[in-house]
Amino acid sequence: MSQEILKRLSKKLMDLDDEGCSAVANEAVAAGLDPMEAIGVLTETIHQIGEEFHRGELFLPDLVGAGAAMEAAMSVFNKELLAKGLKRESMGTIVLGTVRGDIHSIGKDIVRTMLTAGGFIVHDLGVDTSAEKFASAIKEHKPHILAMSALLTTTAREQEVVIENLKEIGLRENIKVMVGGGALDQAFAEKIGADGYGSTAAEAVVLAKKLMAS
Amino acid sequence: MAIKGFTRNFEPLKVLGEEQCWRIHRATLDVLENVGLRIEHERARKLFEQHGCKVDKKDNRVRFPPALVEESLRRCPSSFRLRARDPKNDLTIGGNSVFFGPAPGKQIVDLETWEPREPTEKDVYDGLKILDYLPNVHFLAAYTPFFGFDPVPPVMRIPEICAAKIRGSSKWFFEGYGHDCEIFVIQMAQAVNMEVMMSVLASSPLTYYHEAMECAFRTAEAGMTARVLPGGTYGSSAPATIAGSTVTANAEIMGGIVLLQLLRPGMRIEVKDFTFAQNMRTGSPAFANVQTALHGMAFNQMWRWYDFPVAMTTAYPNSKVSDSQLAYEKSLIALSAALSGVNLQLMQGAIMGELTYHSAQAIIDDEMVGAIGRLLQGFEVNDETLALDLIEQVGPIPGEYLSKKHTRTWWRDQSYFGEVADMTTYPEWLKGDKKTVLDHAQEKMRQILATHEVTPLTETQEKDIQRILAEATKFYRGKGLI
Repeated sequence: MSQEILKRLSKKLMDLDDEGCSAVANEAVAAGLDPMEAIGVLTETIHQIGEEFHRGELFLPDLVGAGAAMEAAMSVFNKELLAKGLKRESMGTIVLGTVRGDIHSIGKDIVRTMLTAGGFIVHDLGVDTSAEKFASAIKEHKPHILAMSALLTTTAREQEVVIENLKEIGLRENIKVMVGGGALDQAFAEKIGADGYGSTAAEAVVLAKKLMAS
Repeated sequence: MAIKGFTRNFEPLKVLGEEQCWRIHRATLDVLENVGLRIEHERARKLFEQHGCKVDKKDNRVRFPPALVEESLRRCPSSFRLRARDPKNDLTIGGNSVFFGPAPGKQIVDLETWEPREPTEKDVYDGLKILDYLPNVHFLAAYTPFFGFDPVPPVMRIPEICAAKIRGSSKWFFEGYGHDCEIFVIQMAQAVNMEVMMSVLASSPLTYYHEAMECAFRTAEAGMTARVLPGGTYGSSAPATIAGSTVTANAEIMGGIVLLQLLRPGMRIEVKDFTFAQNMRTGSPAFANVQTALHGMAFNQMWRWYDFPVAMTTAYPNSKVSDSQLAYEKSLIALSAALSGVNLQLMQGAIMGELTYHSAQAIIDDEMVGAIGRLLQGFEVNDETLALDLIEQVGPIPGEYLSKKHTRTWWRDQSYFGEVADMTTYPEWLKGDKKTVLDHAQEKMRQILATHEVTPLTETQEKDIQRILAEATKFYRGKGLI
């Protein structure tokens, strides 16, 4: 019975069906399934989806759809974990956002999907995020990593502003900073004092794991 | 006096039926009235409110009454003349006139390694000299030929490139905006008695940020002309469907037109499609995708229907080198634009999207544009061209046409032959250096650089340009941006 539900959960995610994911997740909770086990199945499935994307069998709309379906199921399981007083095991916690003046969300959303699939807990602050908003989210969530994105050459510098602000208020020491986005490269990341740079969403996951280990 | 562009002597291709045009129009008015546009500019919102728009202060959403939109469209002239610094390069746009201009790039690319590098000041002026010479470059674009040059700081790039265009060519141009640079661009245009056209770019979906609106105000106040354009990619910042993305693009443009017509009734406006298909594998624009072409054709048709001068999407390729992919990408966009009634089209020089540009590519593209221009001209059907008497006189084989006066009179007019495409015979080519079009283009480039002379500025004009650039530098220093 429980295996059948988990299979269906995986299938719904493969079908990029957010409503289906949410419904089957509720069913799983009602049947008393271990939320951790269910989350494990979701993570494995989204990994497969990521693989298919890299093989060129799936495309960006599919990946974004998978992210939404995954989140629909996760919100059900997260509630259940909270109710049971359990804590989700994770690879680490990440605060993520596109910087002030930049309204590009697509790349960041894909990075969020991939990081979530990679086992990280991600707090997404959205687009046009000010240095102050990043700082208060870091105080609240105490993440291991801060991940920032900028698509425009004119807003790339804003990432430096965020890093400088963290230094000023004494939060820079305890956190790793990774940056990405169309307007950046490794040299720029080093110049503004970030700990790492990734050029693709898949690289972001590898980089985050490396930063966690360092 | 004015520059001789091309004339399209036949009806443009239509991809929409009359009823489809009306449906798109009604949907566009519906979006403007019920969804509205997000306008991040207080003065603009106030002005809209004073003229009957509903303004939601919570999310800066402006909703437009259909009557105001339609009235604003009616106020725009369908054709007008644009003054260049040299009157021989004035442009009259609209109707069946077709003009081509360059598609610029951020950097210059090496023709051996195909790696990009930052352009130097010399690269910029050499590039402009070539464009000033090329016969089928009828005007220059913004950020042309490069987005800047070393070591100009980012905020001074547009003013410096604008000054370079004024000095390096006497052809007309339009310009971009950002960081208040339009103040200095307009001043420089005024200094050489030229009417610059300023871009007012919507941020898709359905948003105008402060800088675009500020540029609209400054352009209208200065009595210059404007081009209004949307900037979405289908499936991410615009609907994935061509019909839907035509609606959002047109709604964005109409919001800009309403503002400009409120600021200066009768203001001269050109509209441009600046939307692209999206590569759903990488998230980057698929610039010259067939969807971009089809969207552009619908765009041209809709805005001809509204009786506006229209510019279609820039012919940017995704290829990184000057190869057959680049050629098919550019010709797909340029031909679909030309055949569907475009008035201004950007084409010459771009190699990888907006990222790289080279003068040799501009020379090759100029030849392709020449052929397109000849195609648009069509041909005459009369007694002389039907040549019935001659056909009777020549008869069947062994009759021939090569020795006839009719051939000598007509063959040039009926065709177009460029200079850089390799048209040698196979044996000639094998015996020679096996030159390609790119080799020929580089030879021609060197020859133009050695011989062409640009009409210089007067001493007063040059002094004014220098003074305005110095003022711009001072302005940005004061703001801490340099």
